[in-house]
Amino acid sequence: MSNDIIEIEVDGKSIQAKKGQMIIEATDTTSSYVPRFCYHSKLSIAANCRMCLVEVEKESKPLPACATPVSEGMKIFTRSPYAIAAQKATMEFLLINHPLDCPICDQGGECELQDIAMGYGRGISRYNDNKRVVKDKNIGPLVSTDMTRCIHCTRCVRFGEEITGAQDLGTVMRGEDMRIDTYVEKSIDHELSSNIIDLCPVGALNNKPYRYSARSWEMIQHETIAAHDCVGSNLYAHVLRGKVKRIVPRENEAINETWISDRDRFSYEGIYSDDRLMSPMIKKDDKWQEISWKDALIEVVEKLKAVDQKSSAFLASPNSTLEEFYLLTKLSNDLSINNVDHRLRVVDFTDQDNDPKIPLLGMNIADIEKCKQIVVIGSDIRKEAPIIGHRIRKAALAGTQIGVINENINEYFFDISAYLSGSIIKNLLGLLNVLGGESPKEMQDISKQIKPTEEHKEMAAILNSEGKGHLILGHLAINHSYASVIRTLSAKIAHLTGSELGFVTEGSNAAGAHLMGMLPHRGFAGASQEIVGKNVQEMTENSLDLLLLFNAEPGNDLPSFSFEKAGHSLVIAMTPYATEKYKMTADIMLPIGTFAETSGTYINCENRSQSFSVIANPVGESRPGWKVLRAIGSMLGMSDFEFESSEGVLDEISQKLNDMPASNIKPNYSTQDLTNSKNFLDSNLVQRTPMYEVDSVLRHATSLQLTPEACRSLAKYEY
Amino acid sequence: MDESWTLVNINRLIMKKIKNYIKTFLLWELWQGLSVTLRNFFRPSTTIQYPEEKTPQSSRFRGLHALRRYPNGEERCIACKLCEAVCPALAITIESEVADDGTRRASRYDIDLFKCIYCGFCEEACPVDAIVETRIHEYHMEAPGENIMTKDKLLAIGDKFDNLITKDKAADAKYR
Repeated sequence: MSNDIIEIEVDGKSIQAKKGQMIIEATDTTSSYVPRFCYHSKLSIAANCRMCLVEVEKESKPLPACATPVSEGMKIFTRSPYAIAAQKATMEFLLINHPLDCPICDQGGECELQDIAMGYGRGISRYNDNKRVVKDKNIGPLVSTDMTRCIHCTRCVRFGEEITGAQDLGTVMRGEDMRIDTYVEKSIDHELSSNIIDLCPVGALNNKPYRYSARSWEMIQHETIAAHDCVGSNLYAHVLRGKVKRIVPRENEAINETWISDRDRFSYEGIYSDDRLMSPMIKKDDKWQEISWKDALIEVVEKLKAVDQKSSAFLASPNSTLEEFYLLTKLSNDLSINNVDHRLRVVDFTDQDNDPKIPLLGMNIADIEKCKQIVVIGSDIRKEAPIIGHRIRKAALAGTQIGVINENINEYFFDISAYLSGSIIKNLLGLLNVLGGESPKEMQDISKQIKPTEEHKEMAAILNSEGKGHLILGHLAINHSYASVIRTLSAKIAHLTGSELGFVTEGSNAAGAHLMGMLPHRGFAGASQEIVGKNVQEMTENSLDLLLLFNAEPGNDLPSFSFEKAGHSLVIAMTPYATEKYKMTADIMLPIGTFAETSGTYINCENRSQSFSVIANPVGESRPGWKVLRAIGSMLGMSDFEFESSEGVLDEISQKLNDMPASNIKPNYSTQDLTNSKNFLDSNLVQRTPMYEVDSVLRHATSLQLTPEACRSLAKYEY
Repeated sequence: MDESWTLVNINRLIMKKIKNYIKTFLLWELWQGLSVTLRNFFRPSTTIQYPEEKTPQSSRFRGLHALRRYPNGEERCIACKLCEAVCPALAITIESEVADDGTRRASRYDIDLFKCIYCGFCEEACPVDAIVETRIHEYHMEAPGENIMTKDKLLAIGDKFDNLITKDKAADAKYR
């Protein structure tokens, strides 16, 4: 290693740098700042803005720091008169065509060009000719364009080429006429594409929903966690007078690097939807009336007291916080209600006892890049967990072999070594045949009929190649009508090939729900339940005495919900939104806060627990979910419900987890009864939830609903 | 020995007492005072009859605020919030939005006159000369809440005193 370290001198101070490092990377470790526009540590080097020119001893010209590798004994001057003259000259050229509309530009106050112009710009322009004007483009409902402001750093172009792979933007023409364009009139649709808003050093590409609504300096920055997928991307929320104005990524190399998905960025719009439930409501004579919190809680408590335990159920969204799951299960345990669940869209529960204690990805998100082989089974991984999709793409570019087994063919912007489309189960059986594994005895007849194709052989070759492979089961597999068959076969394949089996679960906190025992067959920390309660299907297809819906909307979140039967139960809905479906089914609605208005903890798919605090003022009279549950618990006269904060709940959870014996339930899908699985080769067994429909906040995020992605799925969507 | 008890000093004291005694009879100090009155009697008067008469004002006088318009009637304010940022008394509150024509506009522009210290920084900061402090210094509030100058009120003041503001701006332009 010592050979790789070389000595260089920056502004008279000698520092150590790695061989092959660029000057800018070396100077960034010191206090010497080199101004830059086109350089970005996550993107390739373009060296086309020329702002980072520095003086290097014995060089006849100033050199771009971002594209010049360091060499032994190099003497670099970043602040010498020669270097500053070069930087100032570059700045003058950049400002020739840049409009002076900083007061109306949303980038104003956080603009790299503005900042650097303060240091390197001239007070007065010497340029007297006409300025260039470029027509703005409509590239969709998420990103606004003011292309006259563009300084052609090409960060957005390189982002499209290198990070997403969808080359939406490019440069056309040359010199004075050069512009960033989509070639043909189109919107940019990739699920990560709004990151170009953060990348753009000027105000050319900006946040459309946020447009003109606040200034960067007046907002308060709060740390928070993304609430829509099992990745748990780290976010900053920018809040003005108690209202979330925008969401930007918070750098975390272990999870989301510097990117976030469009879904996480724009979902905040749902918080301020017109559909928000503003105060508790009760249905009297088929009419909704507003009531006070006190009366509403008394009403709920009376209903809970009078209820028949066997015929009542709690259903919670997998996006609820760990604290909410804990209080819900505590409440259900104290009331002896066994019918609790969070797996709202799951259909097949036959093998639920074999599930792992917590369904996890089986590796750290950052380690996806290091995998040798990844086979994604039953998953539109790009849509389900965009950050995992991005990591898989990075892995593919680095040489990992990627296989996909899915019903339909999705577009992936990287090389897929083998793609098996069509019936997932049929393909898994074919693969098992090639691998020489024995099919479950119930399926052997069918298995014999399946002739292995070339693709099956390729897929088997991938799994059999050297190094540990990973099988990832996505939402489509988990929500499949014969999910247990898929799990059995996948487990067999994993066993045969020595691969790891992982899950990409629905919602942001499915792991937390499993850990808290928000399941009919398991208790806290995976403890097995004596009496197995009803699962989601059984709860929603039949009429019950009482159904408590915690942010689970009948129809949308609960596709199996029978409005004729379950709709006639006494339904207590704790929900941020008062949609028609809630109004049709519920009897009491209690307004709870969305992810921005509550504090709590999410556990992501790598078992990383991340806590976040309240970032925005509550809308209307809504209250954080945990507070509502806590109030109900105390009013029911239950002991140990006197929590003062969500941290207090978390403390109790961690204490209980410490006291619990480590029950490490390994997934065990080898001994399954598959006799009921007769029609598993039918094609239409997957249940696809569109990307921007997965939870209630997203369904109310107006800009996301205008995207081509949402419109496309709307066309397919049938109620 | 103390000097005040010398013979000369005793003589002086006696003479002073006699002088004062005579001045008392001649009303000397009264005439002295009246001479000041007499002198000022012929001087030009500096008192003005407010409110009928008013003192001259500088064109830079910083009184009540106003929001201006362009000659075509368009609001000047673009809600850049620089005045809000520079205001040392935090008297200005602005909310912005996208207007129907796609431009940036203030949906709310409030100045709290109780907080305002009339420093004129808002006027200095404004890139479009929208917010100005006019010469108006005679105003009052009768009810709570009237101290908040809303956007409509400020625009109305700007419309009413448009000529005066334009003239003042022109007079000051050469010094900027």
